[in-house]
This record gives sequence, C-alpha cells and structure tokens, in this order.
Amino acid sequence: MGIVSSLGLDLETNWSNLVAGRSGIRSITLFDASENQTRIAGEVPSAFEEHYRNYIKKRAASQMTRVTRMCMVAAKDAVNHAGLDFDQLDKTRCSVIIGVVNTGNSSVEKDTTPQNTVFKSMSNSMSAWISLEYQLLGPSYAINTACASSAYALASGFDLIRNNQADVVIVGGADSIINKEEIEGFNALYALSVQNDPPEKASKPFAADRDGFVIGEGAGVIILESEKHAHKRGAGIYAELAGYGLSSEGYNIMAPMKDGEGMSFTMKKAIRAAGISAEEIDYINAHGTSTELNDRYETLAIKRVFGARAKKVPVSSSKSMLGHTIGAAGTIEGIITILSIYHGIITPTINLFHPDPDLDLDFVPHTSRKQALHVALSNSFGFGGHNATLVFRKY
Amino acid sequence: MAQIMENTRYEVKEVVYEFFAEECEVPVSEISDQTNIIKDLDGDSLMFLELIEIFKKKYSLDIELKTIGKYAVKHPVETIGQLIDMQMLIIEHENDILELD
Repeated sequence: MGIVSSLGLDLETNWSNLVAGRSGIRSITLFDASENQTRIAGEVPSAFEEHYRNYIKKRAASQMTRVTRMCMVAAKDAVNHAGLDFDQLDKTRCSVIIGVVNTGNSSVEKDTTPQNTVFKSMSNSMSAWISLEYQLLGPSYAINTACASSAYALASGFDLIRNNQADVVIVGGADSIINKEEIEGFNALYALSVQNDPPEKASKPFAADRDGFVIGEGAGVIILESEKHAHKRGAGIYAELAGYGLSSEGYNIMAPMKDGEGMSFTMKKAIRAAGISAEEIDYINAHGTSTELNDRYETLAIKRVFGARAKKVPVSSSKSMLGHTIGAAGTIEGIITILSIYHGIITPTINLFHPDPDLDLDFVPHTSRKQALHVALSNSFGFGGHNATLVFRKY
Repeated sequence: MAQIMENTRYEVKEVVYEFFAEECEVPVSEISDQTNIIKDLDGDSLMFLELIEIFKKKYSLDIELKTIGKYAVKHPVETIGQLIDMQMLIIEHENDILELD
C-alpha cells in the first residue's frame, strides 16, 4: 500500500499521524486564496516537489500533473511494499485501475507546454503511466464516480481477480481540486467549510457546528492480489477484501437520498455480498464529510442497517484529519480501514467538540482507540448518487 | 533545399546528443550512435518531434510534420545514429524528402 496526503508522503508517516489524531488542514499555499471564501485545504506538503524526483524521471514528470506524480509515488511505494517483482510474474495478468475525477490540470499547474497539455489532462494517464512503468499487459483503466471513484476501482479490481482475469491489480485513486475555480464552484454550492481560522479545526464530521467539507488532495494505492497468487510468492497479506456494494441513487446530482436510503441500501448490499451479517461488523470508516446532509443521512443509514446495535459500532471519519480527497478518498480510506484491522487501532474523528444531538453514534472522538477488529466497512458516497461500501476482513 | 555545410552534421550530432542527455538524464558520454532510443534511453516518440522543432528554428526549414511522418513510417528510427541521419536528410531535402523514395 502507498499513500501521499496532507499528513505525509509515505504510508508509515500517514498512519502514525492518523493514529495521533493530527490534522493536515492548513491555509492554502498553492495559489493566492485571499479572495476565496474558503482559504484552507489539506495540501500535500511542499517537500513532495523534491520527493517525487526520487521516483519519476524528469521527462516523464514534465508530462504529468502534480496529482499524477502523487499517484506514481503512491503506486511505486505500494509495489515495493508488496514486494512485487513484475519480471517474475505473468504481466498479462497484472492490471491497473485508478479512480480519478480529474487529473488536476488546473490553474495551479505549472510549466505546461502545448505538447504536455493533452498528457496532463488525460483521465486515463495515471493508469497508463503505471502500466508503462512496469510494462504491465493486463487491463488498465480509469474510473470516475466522483467521490466514490477509487472505491469503485477497488470493487472493479476485486471482480477482475474473482473472474480470473487477473492475479494482481494495482488499484488506487488520486485527486486534487485545490484551485481557485473549483473552490469558487464548491463555495457557490455551499458545500465547503468557510471556517478558515484555525484551519485544523474546520473539518468536523458529525459535529453540531459542521459547515461543509474541507478539500484534501493526495493519492492512495493498494495491491489487490488473489489469495493463491499471494501465497505462491510468499507475500504478506494485510487483509481480505471480502465484498462490496455499489449502487446509484437516481435521485439528485448533489444531495444524497433522503434519510440515507441509498446509503443504507448500499451497506446492506455489501454485507450480503460478503456473505456475512451486520452483527459481524465491528467498525465503520465513514464517508463522514462534515456536510450537514451527508453526516445526518449516513448516521440514519447506519441506524437503519444496524438497528439497536448501531450505537455500539465505532464509526470514525478520516476526513476530519485529511479533508476530502475526492477521487482518492475511497482508496485512502480503504487503506486506513485495512491498517485499522491489521493493527487493531481505530483512528479518531477529530474536532468533535460539539456533538450534534441528532447524531448519536460512537464516533470515536478526538483520540484513537485500541480494539481488535475482524470485519470493517468503508463507505464512499459521490455527487451524482454514486455509492460504494467496501467490506474488509482480518486475514 | 537547405545547404549542408561541412560542420552541419557535427552541429546536429551535438544538439541530438545534448538533447537526449538532458531529457533522459544520462551523461553525454553514455550516448553513442548505436544507442537505442527506446530500449537504452527510455525515450519516447515525442522527442523526435521536439528535435524537429529545434532544427526547424535553427536552420529555418520549410518542412511539414505530416511529411516527416509519412517518411518516418517507411524509415523507422531506432538508434541515435539513425535519427541523426534522418535529421540530416530533413535539413537537406525539407519537404522534398518523400521524393527520395
């Protein structure tokens, strides 16, 4: 696995910061945001501009956006972390699927030449670059389902393996919408927090004083592999992807279905697909955006799925620390869920100082919690009604 | 048709070598006429186009990319030496390069 985010440039740093309950939200430096209503975001640290040079050759880097470079770094870290040597594998059975809403070829992108404009804009560029890097010959493609994109990528990778189309799938997501135009757009939709000071306190999922999501950015990549293949090469296994639920709400381009009906349907579908019962779930990594509607409806959806047990299931939102990484969120939060199971540590929901009386679940406020976990859900719900729930199981 | 001077080939070679050294992050000393652009340098086809643009400006050439494209399809370039040879033909014959076939 590999992560690049506002909380660090590698997996270990991200995990330790998440466990410590640190926020990656700061004042925007990528452009002059002084005229924007929202002036904060979860930017990847500027040290990344030097860091990526250890991973990507200069010429290839010039043909990539900053976000694509993040994806490449996370992918190469994930490949190394998994101990993969593709020269020893059947490359026709190695695939790449990347969830991406946009490549970040925005007004903050620097040094774009006319020749590089196309490469930087291609939404398939990340999967293509990864396949090129390792000369992989299996299917390589991008998926866009808004904020659920990389959760869909994981589901799609799961299917490739289950249908015997691949042994190994590099699955991930990368995104950034930290630019003047998109922040103005989301402000116009009243979707973003405007609590600019202090930045680290703005993302407060499930709190009474939440006022919108905070934009994050970054990349997350997971190596999905068939059990048989992983055993054959002696790979370390962090967790099992036990199943997923996907659905479309057919309801509204922005708002989730009333009372979280679509969300609960998706969670139930995932639980059923994994062949388990709701009683077996002992943690939910929530979509938890810090918007009025998502947090209210996700809470109602969890209550609908878990009934009287809902208040006993820990639910936390990684977005309280990372902000919303959009197309990358599904994979980054998938990784956090996997590490939570692996280490037996639930990362917290920070900034929950003023609980919303209507949202009365166990949101693991402020500090992380040690707890043995066996099965966990990771929720992702995107604009347009694209819903995904992933089920991870201890291996 | 441009006039080829005695030192033109030397100039072209120097530009080509330095271009690949810079773009592919390898020392000039590791490049030779036998170096394979894709396999040895991890180069790409866009580099060829960028070099043509450089030589178009340097020698004020009257050449269209589609003409070069048609020629290159029949005369694929793999090594640095082959690329220099083609650049020399482009400089010498410009848009008439197709008449060489």
